[in-house]
Amino acid sequence: MISDITIGQYYKENSVVHRLDPRNKIILTVIIIAMIFCCKNFLALALVAAVIIVSILFSKVPMKMFFKSLKSIIPIILFTAILNLFYVSGGKEWSFWILKISEKGIYTAVFMAFRIILLIVASSILTYTTVPTMLTDAIEKLLSPLKVFKISVHSLAMMMTLALRFIPTLIEEIERITNAQKARGADFENGSLIDRVKSLIPVLVPLFVSSFKRAYDLAFAMSCRCYTGGDGRTRMKQMKFGIKDIGALAFYAVSFTAVILLNKYFGALI
Amino acid sequence: MSVTVLETKNLTHVYSKGTTSQVDAIRDVSVKIEQGELVGIIGHTGSGKSTLIQHFNGLLKCTSGTVLLEGKDIWQNKKNIRDVRFKVGICFQYPEYQLFEETVYKDIAYGPKNMKLSDEEIDRRVRQVISFVGLDESYLEKSPFDLSGGEKRRVAIAGVMAMEPSVLILDEPCAGLDPKGRETVLSLITSYREKTGSTVLVVSHSMEDISKIATKVLVMNNSELAYYDTVDGVFTHSSELYDMGLNVPQLTMLFLKLREKGYDVPVNVYTLDKAKAELEKLLKGGSDE
Repeated sequence: MISDITIGQYYKENSVVHRLDPRNKIILTVIIIAMIFCCKNFLALALVAAVIIVSILFSKVPMKMFFKSLKSIIPIILFTAILNLFYVSGGKEWSFWILKISEKGIYTAVFMAFRIILLIVASSILTYTTVPTMLTDAIEKLLSPLKVFKISVHSLAMMMTLALRFIPTLIEEIERITNAQKARGADFENGSLIDRVKSLIPVLVPLFVSSFKRAYDLAFAMSCRCYTGGDGRTRMKQMKFGIKDIGALAFYAVSFTAVILLNKYFGALI
Repeated sequence: MSVTVLETKNLTHVYSKGTTSQVDAIRDVSVKIEQGELVGIIGHTGSGKSTLIQHFNGLLKCTSGTVLLEGKDIWQNKKNIRDVRFKVGICFQYPEYQLFEETVYKDIAYGPKNMKLSDEEIDRRVRQVISFVGLDESYLEKSPFDLSGGEKRRVAIAGVMAMEPSVLILDEPCAGLDPKGRETVLSLITSYREKTGSTVLVVSHSMEDISKIATKVLVMNNSELAYYDTVDGVFTHSSELYDMGLNVPQLTMLFLKLREKGYDVPVNVYTLDKAKAELEKLLKGGSDE
Protein backbone atom coordinates (compact mmCIF):
# COMPACT_ATOMS: atom_id res chain seq x y z
CA MET A 1 0.00 0.00 0.00
CA ILE A 2 0.93 3.61 -0.47
CA SER A 3 1.56 4.20 3.22
CA ASP A 4 4.49 1.78 3.13
CA ILE A 5 6.64 4.34 1.35
CA THR A 6 9.13 5.80 3.78
CA ILE A 7 11.03 8.86 2.72
CA GLY A 8 11.98 10.53 5.95
CA GLN A 9 13.40 7.20 7.09
CA TYR A 10 14.92 8.34 10.37
CA TYR A 11 15.93 5.59 12.82
CA LYS A 12 15.74 6.82 16.38
CA GLU A 13 18.83 6.01 18.42
CA ASN A 14 21.32 7.94 20.48
CA SER A 15 24.67 7.12 18.93
CA VAL A 16 27.83 9.08 18.17
CA VAL A 17 26.83 9.22 14.53
CA HIS A 18 23.40 10.60 15.40
CA ARG A 19 25.04 13.33 17.45
CA LEU A 20 27.52 14.39 14.77
CA ASP A 21 27.05 17.82 13.26
CA PRO A 22 24.62 17.31 10.37
CA ARG A 23 26.77 19.52 8.15
CA ASN A 24 29.68 17.24 8.84
CA LYS A 25 27.57 14.19 8.06
CA ILE A 26 26.72 15.60 4.66
CA ILE A 27 30.38 16.33 4.00
CA LEU A 28 31.35 12.83 5.14
CA THR A 29 28.73 11.31 2.87
CA VAL A 30 30.08 13.28 -0.07
CA ILE A 31 33.60 12.09 0.82
CA ILE A 32 32.59 8.45 0.97
CA ILE A 33 30.72 8.72 -2.33
CA ALA A 34 33.85 10.23 -3.87
CA MET A 35 35.85 7.36 -2.35
CA ILE A 36 33.53 4.79 -3.90
CA PHE A 37 33.97 6.35 -7.33
CA CYS A 38 37.75 6.54 -6.94
CA CYS A 39 38.08 2.81 -6.27
CA LYS A 40 39.77 1.06 -9.12
CA ASN A 41 40.14 -2.46 -7.75
CA PHE A 42 38.42 -4.85 -5.37
CA LEU A 43 40.86 -4.23 -2.53
CA ALA A 44 40.09 -0.53 -2.48
CA LEU A 45 36.38 -1.30 -2.65
CA ALA A 46 36.73 -3.73 0.24
CA LEU A 47 38.41 -1.01 2.29
CA VAL A 48 35.53 1.39 1.59
CA ALA A 49 33.08 -1.36 2.55
CA ALA A 50 34.99 -1.77 5.82
CA VAL A 51 34.81 1.98 6.48
CA ILE A 52 31.05 1.91 5.84
CA ILE A 53 30.55 -1.08 8.13
CA VAL A 54 32.51 0.63 10.90
CA SER A 55 30.31 3.71 10.46
CA ILE A 56 27.19 1.56 10.66
CA LEU A 57 28.42 -0.09 13.85
CA PHE A 58 29.02 3.33 15.38
CA SER A 59 25.53 4.45 14.32
CA LYS A 60 23.86 1.51 16.16
CA VAL A 61 21.35 1.21 13.32
CA PRO A 62 20.60 -2.51 12.82
CA MET A 63 21.99 -4.06 9.64
CA LYS A 64 18.59 -5.28 8.57
CA MET A 65 17.47 -1.69 8.06
CA PHE A 66 20.08 -1.38 5.35
CA PHE A 67 19.03 -4.59 3.66
CA LYS A 68 15.54 -3.15 3.63
CA SER A 69 16.68 -0.04 1.81
CA LEU A 70 18.58 -2.21 -0.70
CA LYS A 71 15.56 -4.33 -1.50
CA SER A 72 13.88 -1.72 -3.64
CA ILE A 73 16.89 -1.18 -5.88
CA ILE A 74 17.66 -4.84 -6.63
CA PRO A 75 16.27 -4.46 -10.19
CA ILE A 76 18.63 -1.54 -10.85
CA ILE A 77 21.60 -3.51 -9.54
CA LEU A 78 20.72 -6.53 -11.68
CA PHE A 79 20.13 -4.38 -14.75
CA THR A 80 23.53 -2.66 -14.47
CA ALA A 81 25.31 -5.91 -13.74
CA ILE A 82 23.77 -7.71 -16.72
CA LEU A 83 24.51 -4.86 -19.10
CA ASN A 84 28.14 -4.81 -17.99
CA LEU A 85 28.33 -8.58 -18.20
CA PHE A 86 27.54 -8.61 -21.90
CA TYR A 87 28.97 -5.33 -23.14
CA VAL A 88 32.41 -5.27 -21.61
CA SER A 89 34.98 -7.27 -23.50
CA GLY A 90 38.56 -8.28 -22.68
CA GLY A 91 40.39 -11.28 -21.28
CA LYS A 92 39.09 -14.80 -21.79
CA GLU A 93 35.83 -15.06 -23.66
CA TRP A 94 33.04 -17.61 -23.65
CA SER A 95 30.23 -17.56 -26.16
CA PHE A 96 27.05 -19.48 -26.43
CA TRP A 97 24.14 -18.87 -28.77
CA ILE A 98 24.31 -15.14 -29.58
CA LEU A 99 25.69 -14.12 -26.20
CA LYS A 100 29.29 -13.46 -25.36
CA ILE A 101 30.70 -13.19 -21.88
CA SER A 102 34.22 -12.07 -21.18
CA GLU A 103 36.36 -12.44 -18.11
CA LYS A 104 36.60 -8.69 -17.75
CA GLY A 105 32.83 -8.44 -18.16
CA ILE A 106 32.26 -10.66 -15.13
CA TYR A 107 34.65 -8.62 -13.01
CA THR A 108 33.08 -5.34 -14.09
CA ALA A 109 29.56 -6.61 -13.45
CA VAL A 110 30.40 -7.71 -9.91
CA PHE A 111 32.37 -4.52 -9.30
CA MET A 112 29.51 -2.30 -10.47
CA ALA A 113 26.96 -4.19 -8.39
CA PHE A 114 29.10 -3.73 -5.27
CA ARG A 115 29.62 -0.09 -6.07
CA ILE A 116 25.87 0.61 -6.28
CA ILE A 117 25.20 -1.31 -3.08
CA LEU A 118 27.86 0.68 -1.23
CA LEU A 119 26.49 3.97 -2.59
CA ILE A 120 23.01 3.20 -1.33
CA VAL A 121 24.18 1.97 2.05
CA ALA A 122 26.47 4.97 2.54
CA SER A 123 23.75 7.48 1.79
CA SER A 124 21.29 5.50 3.94
CA ILE A 125 23.55 6.07 6.95
CA LEU A 126 22.97 9.80 6.51
CA THR A 127 19.18 9.54 6.25
CA TYR A 128 18.86 6.95 9.03
CA THR A 129 20.80 9.05 11.51
CA THR A 130 19.64 12.56 10.67
CA VAL A 131 16.17 14.05 11.10
CA PRO A 132 14.99 15.52 7.77
CA THR A 133 14.64 19.01 9.21
CA MET A 134 18.22 18.93 10.50
CA LEU A 135 19.28 17.78 7.08
CA THR A 136 17.67 20.72 5.34
CA ASP A 137 19.09 23.12 7.92
CA ALA A 138 22.53 21.71 7.26
CA ILE A 139 22.08 22.00 3.52
CA GLU A 140 21.09 25.62 4.02
CA LYS A 141 24.25 26.29 6.02
CA LEU A 142 26.48 24.46 3.57
CA LEU A 143 25.04 26.23 0.55
CA SER A 144 25.09 29.67 2.19
CA PRO A 145 28.14 30.77 0.16
CA LEU A 146 25.82 30.71 -2.86
CA LYS A 147 24.20 33.85 -1.46
CA VAL A 148 26.97 35.72 -3.26
CA PHE A 149 25.25 34.73 -6.51
CA LYS A 150 21.93 36.09 -5.22
CA ILE A 151 20.51 32.60 -4.74
CA SER A 152 18.02 32.48 -1.87
CA VAL A 153 19.38 29.42 -0.11
CA HIS A 154 17.03 29.86 2.80
CA SER A 155 13.94 29.66 0.58
CA LEU A 156 15.24 26.48 -1.02
CA ALA A 157 15.84 24.90 2.38
CA MET A 158 12.43 26.03 3.65
CA MET A 159 10.80 24.52 0.57
CA MET A 160 12.54 21.21 1.19
CA THR A 161 11.49 21.19 4.84
CA LEU A 162 7.88 21.92 3.95
CA ALA A 163 7.85 19.32 1.19
CA LEU A 164 9.09 16.67 3.61
CA ARG A 165 6.62 17.78 6.24
CA PHE A 166 3.66 17.40 3.92
CA ILE A 167 4.42 13.93 2.57
CA PRO A 168 2.55 12.08 5.36
CA THR A 169 -0.31 14.58 5.24
CA LEU A 170 -0.77 14.06 1.52
CA ILE A 171 -0.57 10.29 1.84
CA GLU A 172 -3.39 10.46 4.37
CA GLU A 173 -5.34 12.73 2.05
CA ILE A 174 -4.88 10.34 -0.88
CA GLU A 175 -6.14 7.45 1.21
CA ARG A 176 -9.18 9.41 2.27
CA ILE A 177 -10.12 10.50 -1.24
CA THR A 178 -9.47 7.02 -2.62
CA ASN A 179 -11.84 5.52 -0.07
CA ALA A 180 -14.49 8.10 -0.83
CA GLN A 181 -14.32 7.42 -4.56
CA LYS A 182 -14.22 3.67 -4.00
CA ALA A 183 -17.44 4.06 -2.05
CA ARG A 184 -18.88 5.60 -5.21
CA GLY A 185 -17.80 2.58 -7.21
CA ALA A 186 -14.41 3.72 -8.50
CA ASP A 187 -12.37 0.81 -9.78
CA PHE A 188 -8.61 1.24 -9.55
CA GLU A 189 -7.57 -2.36 -10.02
CA ASN A 190 -9.24 -3.59 -13.18
CA GLY A 191 -9.39 -2.49 -16.79
CA SER A 192 -6.87 -1.47 -19.44
CA LEU A 193 -3.96 0.83 -18.73
CA ILE A 194 -5.89 3.82 -20.11
CA ASP A 195 -8.89 2.98 -17.93
CA ARG A 196 -6.67 2.82 -14.89
CA VAL A 197 -5.00 6.14 -15.62
CA LYS A 198 -8.44 7.65 -16.14
CA SER A 199 -9.62 6.21 -12.85
CA LEU A 200 -6.98 8.32 -11.10
CA ILE A 201 -8.56 11.62 -12.18
CA PRO A 202 -11.23 11.50 -9.45
CA VAL A 203 -8.40 11.22 -6.92
CA LEU A 204 -5.93 13.69 -8.43
CA VAL A 205 -8.32 16.60 -8.96
CA PRO A 206 -9.50 16.79 -5.32
CA LEU A 207 -5.92 16.23 -4.19
CA PHE A 208 -4.68 19.23 -6.20
CA VAL A 209 -7.55 21.38 -5.03
CA SER A 210 -6.91 20.62 -1.39
CA SER A 211 -3.13 20.99 -1.81
CA PHE A 212 -3.59 24.51 -3.15
CA LYS A 213 -5.90 25.29 -0.28
CA ARG A 214 -3.38 23.91 2.18
CA ALA A 215 -0.60 25.95 0.59
CA TYR A 216 -2.62 29.17 0.95
CA ASP A 217 -3.51 28.35 4.54
CA LEU A 218 0.11 27.61 5.35
CA ALA A 219 1.30 30.83 3.73
CA PHE A 220 -1.24 32.78 5.76
CA ALA A 221 -0.25 31.03 8.97
CA MET A 222 3.42 31.72 8.27
CA SER A 223 2.91 35.40 7.56
CA CYS A 224 0.71 35.71 10.65
CA ARG A 225 3.72 34.57 12.60
CA CYS A 226 5.79 37.28 10.92
CA TYR A 227 7.76 35.05 8.61
CA THR A 228 9.54 37.21 6.08
CA GLY A 229 12.26 34.93 4.80
CA GLY A 230 15.68 34.02 6.03
CA ASP A 231 17.21 37.42 6.83
CA GLY A 232 17.94 37.91 10.49
CA ARG A 233 16.56 34.55 11.58
CA THR A 234 18.34 32.81 14.42
CA ARG A 235 18.14 29.19 15.44
CA MET A 236 17.07 27.56 18.63
CA LYS A 237 19.38 24.61 18.05
CA GLN A 238 22.82 25.78 16.99
CA MET A 239 24.92 23.31 15.08
CA LYS A 240 28.25 22.67 16.75
CA PHE A 241 31.29 21.28 15.06
CA GLY A 242 32.95 19.34 17.88
CA ILE A 243 35.79 16.94 18.59
CA LYS A 244 33.69 13.96 17.39
CA ASP A 245 33.34 15.65 14.04
CA ILE A 246 37.05 16.21 13.69
CA GLY A 247 37.65 12.56 14.60
CA ALA A 248 35.18 11.31 12.01
CA LEU A 249 36.61 13.61 9.38
CA ALA A 250 40.16 12.40 10.14
CA PHE A 251 39.05 8.75 9.94
CA TYR A 252 37.53 9.32 6.51
CA ALA A 253 40.53 11.33 5.29
CA VAL A 254 42.95 8.54 6.27
CA SER A 255 40.73 5.97 4.58
CA PHE A 256 40.61 8.07 1.43
CA THR A 257 44.41 8.20 1.33
CA ALA A 258 44.52 4.44 1.77
CA VAL A 259 42.11 3.99 -1.14
CA ILE A 260 44.34 6.11 -3.37
CA LEU A 261 47.41 4.11 -2.33
CA LEU A 262 45.62 0.78 -2.92
CA ASN A 263 44.62 2.01 -6.36
CA LYS A 264 48.21 2.91 -7.12
CA TYR A 265 49.94 -0.27 -5.91
CA PHE A 266 47.44 -2.93 -6.90
CA GLY A 267 46.56 -1.73 -10.36
CA ALA A 268 43.32 -0.70 -11.97
CA LEU A 269 40.65 -3.20 -12.79
CA ILE A 270 38.54 -0.79 -14.76
CA MET B 1 -42.47 -7.86 10.50
CA SER B 2 -39.14 -6.20 10.12
CA VAL B 3 -36.50 -7.43 7.70
CA THR B 4 -32.84 -7.39 8.64
CA VAL B 5 -30.90 -5.62 5.94
CA LEU B 6 -27.44 -5.44 7.48
CA GLU B 7 -26.03 -7.72 10.10
CA THR B 8 -22.65 -8.19 11.71
CA LYS B 9 -21.59 -11.23 13.65
CA ASN B 10 -18.72 -10.98 16.11
CA LEU B 11 -17.05 -8.39 13.96
CA THR B 12 -13.49 -7.62 15.06
CA HIS B 13 -10.91 -5.46 13.38
CA VAL B 14 -7.30 -5.21 14.49
CA TYR B 15 -4.98 -2.55 13.06
CA SER B 16 -1.30 -3.40 12.46
CA LYS B 17 -1.70 -6.95 13.67
CA GLY B 18 1.44 -8.57 15.01
CA THR B 19 3.38 -5.33 15.55
CA THR B 20 3.94 -3.35 18.68
CA SER B 21 1.36 -0.78 17.61
CA GLN B 22 -1.43 -3.36 17.44
CA VAL B 23 -4.79 -1.79 18.24
CA ASP B 24 -8.24 -3.34 18.41
CA ALA B 25 -10.31 -0.84 16.47
CA ILE B 26 -13.52 -2.76 17.01
CA ARG B 27 -14.12 -5.80 19.16
CA ASP B 28 -16.81 -8.43 18.82
CA VAL B 29 -19.61 -6.29 17.43
CA SER B 30 -22.84 -8.15 16.66
CA VAL B 31 -25.72 -6.04 15.52
CA LYS B 32 -28.80 -6.37 13.32
CA ILE B 33 -30.03 -3.35 11.42
CA GLU B 34 -33.59 -3.52 10.15
CA GLN B 35 -34.93 -2.29 6.85
CA GLY B 36 -36.13 1.30 6.92
CA GLU B 37 -34.61 2.36 10.23
CA LEU B 38 -32.74 5.60 10.73
CA VAL B 39 -29.90 4.57 12.96
CA GLY B 40 -27.72 7.09 14.74
CA ILE B 41 -24.23 5.82 15.45
CA ILE B 42 -22.58 7.70 18.28
CA GLY B 43 -19.41 7.37 20.25
CA HIS B 44 -16.49 9.54 21.25
CA THR B 45 -13.47 10.09 19.01
CA GLY B 46 -11.59 6.86 18.46
CA SER B 47 -14.42 4.63 19.64
CA GLY B 48 -14.47 2.75 16.35
CA LYS B 49 -17.44 4.36 14.60
CA SER B 50 -15.65 5.08 11.35
CA THR B 51 -13.94 1.70 11.31
CA LEU B 52 -17.29 0.01 11.82
CA ILE B 53 -19.01 1.71 8.90
CA GLN B 54 -16.13 0.99 6.56
CA HIS B 55 -16.84 -2.70 7.11
CA PHE B 56 -20.41 -2.30 5.94
CA ASN B 57 -19.39 -1.71 2.32
CA GLY B 58 -16.20 -3.74 2.30
CA LEU B 59 -13.67 -0.90 2.31
CA LEU B 60 -12.11 -2.67 5.26
CA LYS B 61 -11.98 -6.39 5.69
CA CYS B 62 -12.65 -7.61 9.20
CA THR B 63 -9.98 -9.59 11.05
CA SER B 64 -12.64 -12.00 12.23
CA GLY B 65 -16.42 -12.22 12.09
CA THR B 66 -18.82 -11.65 9.23
CA VAL B 67 -20.85 -8.88 7.67
CA LEU B 68 -24.13 -9.97 6.12
CA LEU B 69 -25.95 -7.79 3.61
CA GLU B 70 -29.48 -9.02 2.93
CA GLY B 71 -28.45 -12.30 4.48
CA LYS B 72 -25.36 -12.83 2.32
CA ASP B 73 -21.74 -12.57 3.43
CA ILE B 74 -20.32 -9.55 1.57
CA TRP B 75 -16.96 -11.27 1.18
CA GLN B 76 -18.45 -14.47 -0.21
CA ASN B 77 -17.44 -13.46 -3.70
CA LYS B 78 -14.59 -10.96 -3.74
CA LYS B 79 -15.44 -9.84 -7.28
CA ASN B 80 -18.86 -8.64 -6.20
CA ILE B 81 -17.54 -6.21 -3.62
CA ARG B 82 -18.27 -3.34 -6.00
CA ASP B 83 -21.94 -4.34 -6.08
CA VAL B 84 -21.92 -4.25 -2.29
CA ARG B 85 -20.61 -0.69 -2.48
CA PHE B 86 -23.51 0.28 -4.74
CA LYS B 87 -25.97 -1.19 -2.27
CA VAL B 88 -24.36 0.33 0.79
CA GLY B 89 -23.53 3.94 -0.04
CA ILE B 90 -21.10 5.69 2.30
CA CYS B 91 -20.65 9.43 2.37
CA PHE B 92 -17.51 10.21 4.36
CA GLN B 93 -16.66 13.12 6.61
CA TYR B 94 -16.16 16.39 4.78
CA PRO B 95 -17.37 14.88 1.51
CA GLU B 96 -17.01 18.22 -0.27
CA TYR B 97 -13.31 17.37 -0.71
CA GLN B 98 -14.14 14.51 -3.03
CA LEU B 99 -15.81 16.65 -5.72
CA PHE B 100 -13.79 16.63 -8.91
CA GLU B 101 -15.90 17.10 -12.03
CA GLU B 102 -16.42 20.24 -14.09
CA THR B 103 -20.13 20.41 -13.35
CA VAL B 104 -22.34 19.37 -10.47
CA TYR B 105 -24.27 17.19 -12.91
CA LYS B 106 -21.22 15.17 -13.91
CA ASP B 107 -20.09 14.79 -10.32
CA ILE B 108 -23.42 13.42 -9.16
CA ALA B 109 -23.45 11.14 -12.22
CA TYR B 110 -20.06 9.62 -11.31
CA GLY B 111 -21.50 6.90 -9.05
CA PRO B 112 -24.38 5.90 -11.36
CA LYS B 113 -21.94 5.89 -14.30
CA ASN B 114 -19.73 3.42 -12.45
CA MET B 115 -22.86 1.28 -12.11
CA LYS B 116 -23.07 1.26 -15.91
CA LEU B 117 -26.61 2.62 -16.01
CA SER B 118 -28.22 4.02 -19.16
CA ASP B 119 -27.96 7.76 -19.82
CA GLU B 120 -31.69 8.27 -19.31
CA GLU B 121 -31.60 6.51 -15.96
CA ILE B 122 -28.59 8.56 -14.87
CA ASP B 123 -30.38 11.75 -15.93
CA ARG B 124 -33.48 10.77 -13.97
CA ARG B 125 -31.46 10.03 -10.85
CA VAL B 126 -29.38 13.20 -11.01
CA ARG B 127 -32.51 15.35 -11.30
CA GLN B 128 -34.18 13.43 -8.50
CA VAL B 129 -31.36 13.64 -5.98
CA ILE B 130 -30.64 17.30 -6.61
CA SER B 131 -34.19 17.99 -5.46
CA PHE B 132 -33.73 15.61 -2.51
CA VAL B 133 -30.89 17.77 -1.23
CA GLY B 134 -32.90 20.94 -1.72
CA LEU B 135 -31.04 22.50 -4.62
CA ASP B 136 -32.74 23.48 -7.86
CA GLU B 137 -31.75 22.26 -11.31
CA SER B 138 -29.91 25.48 -12.16
CA TYR B 139 -27.09 24.15 -9.96
CA LEU B 140 -26.49 21.20 -12.25
CA GLU B 141 -24.50 23.21 -14.78
CA LYS B 142 -22.40 25.06 -12.20
CA SER B 143 -18.89 24.08 -11.25
CA PRO B 144 -18.85 22.35 -7.87
CA PHE B 145 -15.88 24.51 -6.88
CA ASP B 146 -17.95 27.71 -7.17
CA LEU B 147 -20.47 26.62 -4.55
CA SER B 148 -20.54 27.54 -0.88
CA GLY B 149 -19.38 25.03 1.72
CA GLY B 150 -22.87 23.91 2.66
CA GLU B 151 -23.92 23.57 -0.98
CA LYS B 152 -20.83 21.52 -1.78
CA ARG B 153 -21.65 19.22 1.11
CA ARG B 154 -25.18 18.70 -0.21
CA VAL B 155 -23.93 18.02 -3.74
CA ALA B 156 -21.51 15.42 -2.38
CA ILE B 157 -24.29 13.75 -0.40
CA ALA B 158 -26.42 13.77 -3.54
CA GLY B 159 -23.59 11.99 -5.35
CA VAL B 160 -23.94 9.05 -2.97
CA MET B 161 -27.74 9.14 -2.94
CA ALA B 162 -27.75 8.91 -6.76
CA MET B 163 -26.55 5.33 -6.53
CA GLU B 164 -29.88 4.63 -4.81
CA PRO B 165 -28.25 2.45 -2.18
CA SER B 166 -30.54 0.35 -0.03
CA VAL B 167 -28.45 1.46 2.94
CA LEU B 168 -27.15 5.02 3.05
CA ILE B 169 -24.41 5.76 5.56
CA LEU B 170 -23.38 9.31 6.37
CA ASP B 171 -20.27 9.94 8.44
CA GLU B 172 -20.61 13.18 10.41
CA PRO B 173 -22.76 14.88 7.78
CA CYS B 174 -23.07 18.03 9.91
CA ALA B 175 -19.41 18.47 10.87
CA GLY B 176 -18.21 22.02 10.43
CA LEU B 177 -21.57 23.44 9.39
CA ASP B 178 -23.33 26.36 11.05
CA PRO B 179 -26.60 25.71 12.94
CA LYS B 180 -28.68 26.51 9.87
CA GLY B 181 -26.60 24.21 7.71
CA ARG B 182 -26.96 21.43 10.27
CA GLU B 183 -30.69 21.89 10.32
CA THR B 184 -30.87 21.67 6.51
CA VAL B 185 -28.72 18.56 6.30
CA LEU B 186 -30.62 16.79 9.09
CA SER B 187 -33.98 17.56 7.51
CA LEU B 188 -32.85 16.39 4.10
CA ILE B 189 -31.73 13.11 5.62
CA THR B 190 -35.12 12.49 7.22
CA SER B 191 -37.03 13.48 4.10
CA TYR B 192 -34.80 11.24 1.98
CA ARG B 193 -35.67 8.30 4.19
CA GLU B 194 -39.38 9.11 4.06
CA LYS B 195 -39.35 9.41 0.27
CA THR B 196 -37.30 6.34 -0.54
CA GLY B 197 -37.95 4.08 2.43
CA SER B 198 -34.30 3.11 2.54
CA THR B 199 -32.25 2.43 5.62
CA VAL B 200 -30.07 5.32 6.77
CA LEU B 201 -27.15 5.27 9.21
CA VAL B 202 -25.84 8.56 10.53
CA VAL B 203 -22.57 8.78 12.42
CA SER B 204 -22.36 11.71 14.79
CA HIS B 205 -20.85 13.08 17.95
CA SER B 206 -23.93 14.95 18.80
CA MET B 207 -26.62 13.19 20.80
CA GLU B 208 -28.71 16.28 20.30
CA ASP B 209 -28.80 15.88 16.50
CA ILE B 210 -29.28 12.14 16.69
CA SER B 211 -32.12 12.32 19.18
CA LYS B 212 -33.99 14.61 16.79
CA ILE B 213 -33.96 12.34 13.77
CA ALA B 214 -33.06 8.75 14.64
CA THR B 215 -35.40 5.83 15.25
CA LYS B 216 -32.64 3.75 16.80
CA VAL B 217 -29.28 4.53 18.32
CA LEU B 218 -26.10 2.50 18.25
CA VAL B 219 -23.55 3.54 20.86
CA MET B 220 -19.90 2.59 20.48
CA ASN B 221 -17.58 2.82 23.45
CA ASN B 222 -13.91 1.75 23.62
CA SER B 223 -14.13 -0.30 20.40
CA GLU B 224 -17.17 -2.20 21.66
CA LEU B 225 -20.88 -2.00 21.08
CA ALA B 226 -22.33 -0.39 24.20
CA TYR B 227 -26.01 -0.12 23.32
CA TYR B 228 -28.22 -0.68 20.34
CA ASP B 229 -31.77 0.31 21.12
CA THR B 230 -34.52 2.80 20.43
CA VAL B 231 -33.75 6.42 21.23
CA ASP B 232 -35.90 6.17 24.33
CA GLY B 233 -34.19 2.99 25.44
CA VAL B 234 -30.69 4.37 25.00
CA PHE B 235 -31.54 7.54 26.91
CA THR B 236 -32.50 5.52 29.98
CA HIS B 237 -28.73 5.06 30.25
CA SER B 238 -28.03 8.75 29.92
CA SER B 239 -25.78 9.00 32.95
CA GLU B 240 -23.64 6.16 31.54
CA LEU B 241 -23.57 7.97 28.20
CA TYR B 242 -22.35 11.06 29.99
CA ASP B 243 -19.61 9.00 31.65
CA MET B 244 -18.52 7.75 28.23
CA GLY B 245 -17.73 11.33 27.34
CA LEU B 246 -20.71 11.90 25.08
CA ASN B 247 -22.42 15.24 25.12
CA VAL B 248 -25.97 14.32 26.03
CA PRO B 249 -28.57 16.95 25.14
CA GLN B 250 -28.82 19.86 27.58
CA LEU B 251 -32.38 18.94 28.50
CA THR B 252 -31.23 15.48 29.50
CA MET B 253 -28.37 17.05 31.44
CA LEU B 254 -30.89 19.13 33.37
CA PHE B 255 -32.85 16.05 34.32
CA LEU B 256 -29.68 14.20 35.31
CA LYS B 257 -28.76 17.08 37.61
CA LEU B 258 -32.27 17.13 39.09
CA ARG B 259 -32.01 13.44 39.78
CA GLU B 260 -28.65 13.99 41.49
CA LYS B 261 -30.37 16.51 43.76
CA GLY B 262 -32.82 13.80 44.77
CA TYR B 263 -35.84 14.58 42.63
CA ASP B 264 -37.65 11.60 41.22
CA VAL B 265 -37.53 12.31 37.48
CA PRO B 266 -36.88 10.01 34.52
CA VAL B 267 -33.49 10.37 32.77
CA ASN B 268 -34.59 9.57 29.23
CA VAL B 269 -35.91 13.05 28.56
CA TYR B 270 -34.67 14.65 25.35
CA THR B 271 -37.64 16.40 23.76
CA LEU B 272 -39.08 19.72 24.86
CA ASP B 273 -42.62 18.33 25.16
CA LYS B 274 -41.65 15.52 27.42
CA ALA B 275 -39.48 17.83 29.52
CA LYS B 276 -42.39 20.20 29.97
CA ALA B 277 -44.72 17.40 30.99
CA GLU B 278 -42.23 15.95 33.45
CA LEU B 279 -41.45 19.32 34.99
CA GLU B 280 -45.12 20.13 35.43
CA LYS B 281 -45.64 16.78 37.08
CA LEU B 282 -42.69 17.46 39.37
CA LEU B 283 -43.88 20.96 40.29
CA LYS B 284 -47.37 19.75 41.12
CA GLY B 285 -46.08 16.88 43.19
CA GLY B 286 -43.52 19.05 44.98
CA SER B 287 -45.92 21.91 45.83
CA ASP B 288 -46.52 20.55 49.33
CA GLU B 289 -42.99 21.45 50.41
